[in-house]
Amino acid sequence: MAIVELKNVTYKYPLTDTPVLKNINAQVNEGEFVAVIGPNGAGKSTLCYTVAGFVPHFFKGEITGAVEVAGSESSKSNLHEWVLNVGLAFQNPFNQISGAKYTVFEEIAFGLENIGVPREEMIQRVNDAMKLTGISELADRSPYSLSGGQQQRVALTSILVMRPKVLVLDEPTSQMDPIGTREVFGVIRALAEKGMTVILAEHKVEWIANFADRVVALHEGEIIADGKPSDVLTSDLLAEKGFGLSRYTSVARKAKAMGMWQKERLPVTLDEAVEGFTLTLPSPKGRGE
Amino acid sequence: MNSLSIYVARESGLHKLNPLTKFVLSLCILLGGLAFSNALAGYVILFAIVTPLAMFGGVTKRMYQLVFNISWPLILSVFLIQSFFWGAGTPLFEIGPVSPKLEGVLFAFKSSGRILYVMANFILFSLTTRPDTLMISLKQAGLPGGLAYIIVSTLQLIPQYAAKANIILDAQRSRGLETQGNIVTRARALLPLVLPLVISSLLEVEERAIAIEARAFNSNRVETSILEIPDSQSQKTARAGMIIITILLIAGRFLWQLSS
Repeated sequence: MAIVELKNVTYKYPLTDTPVLKNINAQVNEGEFVAVIGPNGAGKSTLCYTVAGFVPHFFKGEITGAVEVAGSESSKSNLHEWVLNVGLAFQNPFNQISGAKYTVFEEIAFGLENIGVPREEMIQRVNDAMKLTGISELADRSPYSLSGGQQQRVALTSILVMRPKVLVLDEPTSQMDPIGTREVFGVIRALAEKGMTVILAEHKVEWIANFADRVVALHEGEIIADGKPSDVLTSDLLAEKGFGLSRYTSVARKAKAMGMWQKERLPVTLDEAVEGFTLTLPSPKGRGE
Repeated sequence: MNSLSIYVARESGLHKLNPLTKFVLSLCILLGGLAFSNALAGYVILFAIVTPLAMFGGVTKRMYQLVFNISWPLILSVFLIQSFFWGAGTPLFEIGPVSPKLEGVLFAFKSSGRILYVMANFILFSLTTRPDTLMISLKQAGLPGGLAYIIVSTLQLIPQYAAKANIILDAQRSRGLETQGNIVTRARALLPLVLPLVISSLLEVEERAIAIEARAFNSNRVETSILEIPDSQSQKTARAGMIIITILLIAGRFLWQLSS
């Protein structure tokens, strides 16, 4: 069942002439993990803000079409009510820390305080959310004393604790080192496995290939491909349009042109690549074959 | 605690009081003390009221350290200026054209008493009250939530921005910016240091706004608090009592001045 529905959405930022999103039609089913890919400026962040209600409630500008989550329409709601439908986390973990709290525990409770959750229930929910993202041991630390990966997990937990129906993540690992990236993706994967509906804008194609149920490719504000990761991430169209693709796909594409890749499908991950190459590597010339 | 606050965590009775009670108490000591014009008034308040409170809060040593560190240049200059530049009066001694006056020294003594008790009073309050709990109670008493957020987050963010300023300083130095030397060189270095800091901070404001909006900051529901802030009927009564006593003291002071 579709929980998120974008119906013919076109959007222009204030004081601009060209739309950033053009006639976007898309659905996301409950429990689905959808990755959004696209070059810089393709409209990934704007799409995230649109689903999360910040377009048009925060950024203003001109929007046509409808954004629906669980049957209610974004433009007819308020931002502070809409965030209970759709939770948003983004790139810079430092800027997502409220600054008004002295410990991680209190930081995570900030959103619940704002929506008036009673104290006993709040403590329970914060503890549950921290357990879910594996940061219980950070509870008494200052949010500013943490590493980037830890801070980003705190930011994610601060959103999760509000129990949104859909989680929107705008390149949550773009400022992380490899360790931070692994930490954050670990949490996202665990959430997806628990049945959370996740929309993730991301550049790191190899992670997407491993995790996502579906990949949507955005190019200049339009959806140009939408389907299974193994299909979308290896399509020729994306390579032509200059998308950043997996290095395994790029290598196999060259190998295919040289007749060294015989499988029909190109690989996205290391495992697929290893499998493909070992099975079809032609025997070297000059061995009397 | 990575903050500008000088708060010291202790398990004392003073720490456990409602922040508003401490706020009112310290306001009353401040205003009430000014109602007395006796030269010894400041010292009496310092030793008979503020010091016992600090002992109750277990922060006497820290309080006096901070009071001393902050106030000695002030007190020294008050004594120098008041005694040497007092107009007509009883000269204590004369060296050439310089003659400190007895009246000046007495006035400086009185002013120093006031400086000391006002400072000790304020420092004691800051040492025993977490800024965030104070803001929560002020919010419950009617302070707008946005204002409370700005005050508390500023206290936390200033050290973060100071750290960022140092990174920019290092980055510009590594590109050959001269930051040491005479005043002209230093002034010239200011712009390439301040500009990146200001611009990046302005850009961050939008992201921070999005982040707190994503957590329903502008919600119109009645807010709750994760921190339990202790309060009791007796504290409420005490606050009302302290306010009345202070008003009476100030009123008495004005009446006394009018009649004499």
